[in-house]
Amino acid sequence: MEIRINGLERDYYSEGKRIRALNHVNLTIPANQIFTLLGPSGCGKTTLLRCIVGLETPDAGEIAIGDEIVFSKGRNIFVPPEKRGLGMVFQTYAIWPHMNVFDNVAYPLQNRKLPRDEIRQRVARVLHFVQLDGFDNRPATKLSGGQQQRVALARALVAEPKVILFDEPLSNLDAKLREETRKELRSFLTELKITAVYVTHDRIEALALSDQIAVMRAGQIIEIGDPKKIYFNPDHQFVADFIGRANLLEGKVTRRDGRHAVIDCAIGSIIGLNRREIPPGHEAMLCVRPEFIKIAATDAAGGRNIFRGKLENLVFIGEAYEGEIRIGDTLLTITIEPTADIVANDEIYISFDPDHCFLLPAQASA
Amino acid sequence: MMKKPTLTPILILLVGFLTVCPVVMLVVGSFSQGLGTFDGFTIDKYVAAYTDPEFADILANTVIFTVGAAVLATVLALFLAYMNTRTNIPFKFLFRIISIIPMMIPHILFSVSWVLLLNPSNGILNRMFMDLFGLRNAPFDIYSLPGMILVEALLDLPIAYLIIAPSMSAFDVSLEESSKVCGASNLRTLMRVTLPVLRPAILASGILVVVRSLASFAVPSVIGMPGRIYVLATHIYRIISTGFAADYGKAAAVGMSALAASVTLIYIYRFLTAESGKFVTISSRGFKPAVIDLKGSTYPLFTVVGLICFVLIVLPVLVLFYTSMTPYVMVPSTRALSMMSWKNWVAVLQDPISRLSLKNSLILGLGGATLGIVLSIFVAYVIVKVRTRAAGILESLSFLSFSFPGIVIGVGFMWFFVRTPLYATLWALLIGYVATYLPYGIRPLSSAFVQIHRHLEESSRVCGASPFYTLRRIVIPLLIPGIISGWILMATMFVRELTLSVVLSRPGTEVLAVQILRFAEDGLWGKLSALGIMMIIISSSLVVAASLIGRKMTKMEIVDSA
Repeated sequence: MEIRINGLERDYYSEGKRIRALNHVNLTIPANQIFTLLGPSGCGKTTLLRCIVGLETPDAGEIAIGDEIVFSKGRNIFVPPEKRGLGMVFQTYAIWPHMNVFDNVAYPLQNRKLPRDEIRQRVARVLHFVQLDGFDNRPATKLSGGQQQRVALARALVAEPKVILFDEPLSNLDAKLREETRKELRSFLTELKITAVYVTHDRIEALALSDQIAVMRAGQIIEIGDPKKIYFNPDHQFVADFIGRANLLEGKVTRRDGRHAVIDCAIGSIIGLNRREIPPGHEAMLCVRPEFIKIAATDAAGGRNIFRGKLENLVFIGEAYEGEIRIGDTLLTITIEPTADIVANDEIYISFDPDHCFLLPAQASA
Repeated sequence: MMKKPTLTPILILLVGFLTVCPVVMLVVGSFSQGLGTFDGFTIDKYVAAYTDPEFADILANTVIFTVGAAVLATVLALFLAYMNTRTNIPFKFLFRIISIIPMMIPHILFSVSWVLLLNPSNGILNRMFMDLFGLRNAPFDIYSLPGMILVEALLDLPIAYLIIAPSMSAFDVSLEESSKVCGASNLRTLMRVTLPVLRPAILASGILVVVRSLASFAVPSVIGMPGRIYVLATHIYRIISTGFAADYGKAAAVGMSALAASVTLIYIYRFLTAESGKFVTISSRGFKPAVIDLKGSTYPLFTVVGLICFVLIVLPVLVLFYTSMTPYVMVPSTRALSMMSWKNWVAVLQDPISRLSLKNSLILGLGGATLGIVLSIFVAYVIVKVRTRAAGILESLSFLSFSFPGIVIGVGFMWFFVRTPLYATLWALLIGYVATYLPYGIRPLSSAFVQIHRHLEESSRVCGASPFYTLRRIVIPLLIPGIISGWILMATMFVRELTLSVVLSRPGTEVLAVQILRFAEDGLWGKLSALGIMMIIISSSLVVAASLIGRKMTKMEIVDSA
């Protein structure tokens, strides 16, 4: 089911100051996709999720889930959470400690007064789906973090909602388990025909899980796109920086060359992708991700995008070297393959592939 | 749950009235001429109270009694905690018993049992020693300061243990291990590392025992008064209950110094317990305290622990039961056995005042605990869930009464009630009880509320449950263990309440503990013991129920709120 959000506003008051948690948000979440709200803490992503599910009442705007308007300030509509028919996985999982696994999962069905046999069948089916067969009688508190997470998922799915919402569901798991659970979650969700709204501040989680990502900042949605678009071709400097590590170089466009353009910046002239078609003479920002800075053999090969610099702060982290390269007064973050024959303070040549660095409008108006 | 903006101020007014009112009345009363007359400011009462030639002695007795009890109780608690957490001593379940037993045996009965054993004229143990060794005089006299200190220390031992044991078990063993690596022996490590690191807990335990023995009335009245050894609490009691005219103004003036001392000490205590976290370190990974093998000293040390258990738990009940069956205090013998009967029990059950006190205590226990727990539910809800600045005020107010000595607060309430129609009714006792013991109800309920993370309610709503269904299936089931254990805790406190009651109880509103004190003053040990055993049966059945429910409750872990 599609979710349409129009002009949503939500303010908080804290110690006499007004904080805009949601600042006129317009958003359409397409049906049957995994849609992620990504942003730093305090950007309003959780507030937006809680408004969709009905745990919070917006100050203005309209929310429609499928054909039903669940909130409208203008028409004075507020459907309480229990009538919206959604599923939700909380950050704390919110597993009820006085119930066993079966009762936790069966709760949404018991509450709908379904026949006992049907409840038992559906709970068994959903527990099988999340790979918790035979856990029915286990007290909910006697489960590991990953198992609790799956109970929470089972409970959210058991009533077969058309929309399921996740509020940072992996943030309480340790790093290794988080990675496994993320993969599981992805395969669970692709198997179901369901609209999933997923809130996280973890960019890797967002990239790995999502069909679409909406990046939020200060109560507003800045940019929406699929993971590759957001990573390789963001419209905003903030998004480029937030979704991965990025070297940002300010400069002025001097010349256009088809899809590319040349920018003059602190370390010299660089040629990069110019999808925004910034005309010569305009200020721009060049973005290069560390993994796309390569070590070049010599200065010889035509000189395009090749620079000489000194390697500093080099650390070996197993899968790669991480370091910084100083070119003049500019420090660029760089990732080097682990087998490279380098030591700190080497003078090396680096090159940027013109297809893997891109120009953004200067000081993107976000 | 709905947030009612008016709930917090109402509760602040109510709890503020309950806790601040007696203190204000005490201050006002101490500057007044007599009970019921507030006009005429005077400092006569202070002059009279503090120029009393006896006062210096009373003060000295109070200091020796409270500090003595604190030192003895803390040393015993340290010994027990060390044995339990750090050695391979057998039968460790005994230590759990030690920590919950004081709930079962009311302090006044524990004191009486020691009088029965060690009084100089016919104490059972004294008699046995005299027969055994052919002594002329009784070897022990319980009616003395050492006697009072011994009994008070044993009564406060569980509290001291409950403070020291957690610090001992949370102790980072690597501190000791590094001492041993440096070549120090077990004993030297104990003296140079373990005890100094535990210093905050040791001080906290000592201070709390001082506060409790300052407020203690059972031991000073049952053991101190017959030996003419008066401390502040009994001095106040003497001023208002003996002589031709009870002088409530002078009592209030004396009470002010007890109150000031107590409040100051509790302030220091809270400071110390807040600080203690910095000293005692808990290592997070693979923490397991090193167990010291006692080897040859296992059984001698175990005998000491066993003896403490016996003296704390078995002996008092045994002595009381035995005395309740005999016509007068006598050394156990075949003759004594042949004379045993239920006569005292029958006499007590036929005695109208004893029956009235039984009835009153039950009414106060059941009714008072119910009212107290209802108030506690609202207060705990505001403290845990509302969390505004006003809620913080409410929290401080509701835990204030922890530091008030019961008899002093009783005098304060007296000044208040005498001007109301509540005077000499059960309502006066009930209000006093709830005010003084409110923290005992709030504590289990706050932890129950803490357990109910906001998400637990919210996820129920998202699952399609109405607010009412959520209340029924989620909120109430999670609160019930807290409600029940808080209720039972308050009920047992109320059934055995003595210190407030000796001031507030009037003819017609006698309660169990006061009636037992009367029997003790008249030397009616047989009847006293019979009534006492009934009291123990009532309160211990409540405690057993509480600990069963408590155990069920601990199985449910608090859901982590990240």
